[in-house]
Amino acid sequence: MANSTQGANKNEENKSAENKEPSSPIENCEEKLTNTENKITIVFHATGNTPILKSRKLMVKKERKMGDVITFLKKLLNLHPSDSLFLYVNQAFAPSPDQTIKNLYECYGVEGTLPIHYCKSQAWG
Amino acid sequence: MANDREVLRDIWDGKLPVCFNINDEEICDLQTPESYYLMIPRLSYFPLVWDKILIFHSRIFCIQKVKKHFVKHIHSDRQEMEMWLDYNGTPLKWHYPVGLLYDLYAYDTQLPWTVTVHFEKFPENEILHCNSREVVESHFMSTVKEADALKHRGQIISTMQKKEHTQLWLGLQNDKFDQFWAVNKKLMDTSGSDGEFKHIPFRFYSTDEGPFIQKLVKPFTEGQPKSLLNLIEEVYPDIGCDKGI
Repeated sequence: MANSTQGANKNEENKSAENKEPSSPIENCEEKLTNTENKITIVFHATGNTPILKSRKLMVKKERKMGDVITFLKKLLNLHPSDSLFLYVNQAFAPSPDQTIKNLYECYGVEGTLPIHYCKSQAWG
Repeated sequence: MANDREVLRDIWDGKLPVCFNINDEEICDLQTPESYYLMIPRLSYFPLVWDKILIFHSRIFCIQKVKKHFVKHIHSDRQEMEMWLDYNGTPLKWHYPVGLLYDLYAYDTQLPWTVTVHFEKFPENEILHCNSREVVESHFMSTVKEADALKHRGQIISTMQKKEHTQLWLGLQNDKFDQFWAVNKKLMDTSGSDGEFKHIPFRFYSTDEGPFIQKLVKPFTEGQPKSLLNLIEEVYPDIGCDKGI
């Protein structure tokens, strides 16, 4: 969706983009397990030919939004911010980037976690 | 639910008169362009109205036309910049339906609803980019899929053919009630082997806690159908309904 813009000067920008990113998302999102009540564990599943993560679990604050998770995951996968990455809940739909993790967990949480599938191309339309 | 045709029709037919003005600071001409007026379906999205001229070039509904109307008055090097709208300083999220945006931010203003057109200083952190109609379509289809995940565990939408998805989208985009509902009635069906919806798809939007609240709510309590009041109490247990929301 909103993350599907194409990057023109991808290669040149690659390094500088990584350096100027830190103010955004989940940098401090894995804040150590001091207070787990306000956090939700996301379990990532790779789909298609997208690389698998070393660590599939991520604890995020409930108030975090899908957009934050997308940005974080792109970094983890060494993707450029303008590369496409699609995140799916329920293996069915891509929540909008301003949807909160809390809402998704309340509706689609499974055994205390929120499973999210990710893919570099559209997997479930 | 889908039998209530008159109500469905009334909701579908709801329209808002909107007046578009370009941000004064972004004009390079001495002459300020005139305001541009459109009647926009409440259920539609702003970028669709922008785009309409591309599909129905003879129709007056169009965002592209709004853009064309203003574009000649701004600096040439800015003309490729992305257009966005704000009302009273609040950037308007294109992925919310037009009627929802009005109800959230402008319900107490006089009509026509006056919004400001911008081509500069895109508010990256507040609104999403929308560079094509396909982006709107994929957002819309995603909300339909999510709703079906709640209603029928996604079984209806996933067994539909691609052309039915397209018909749903084109129905909304082109303001064709019958076209839309011919497909949507399947999604609203409660007569199948599964009977009622598993859960009710809903969102509570508010301007101070954002962006919206969503929960799993079943349509019945001990066999009794839930009312809107029951739903509100379930989502906002701390608020007595006599106090309002």
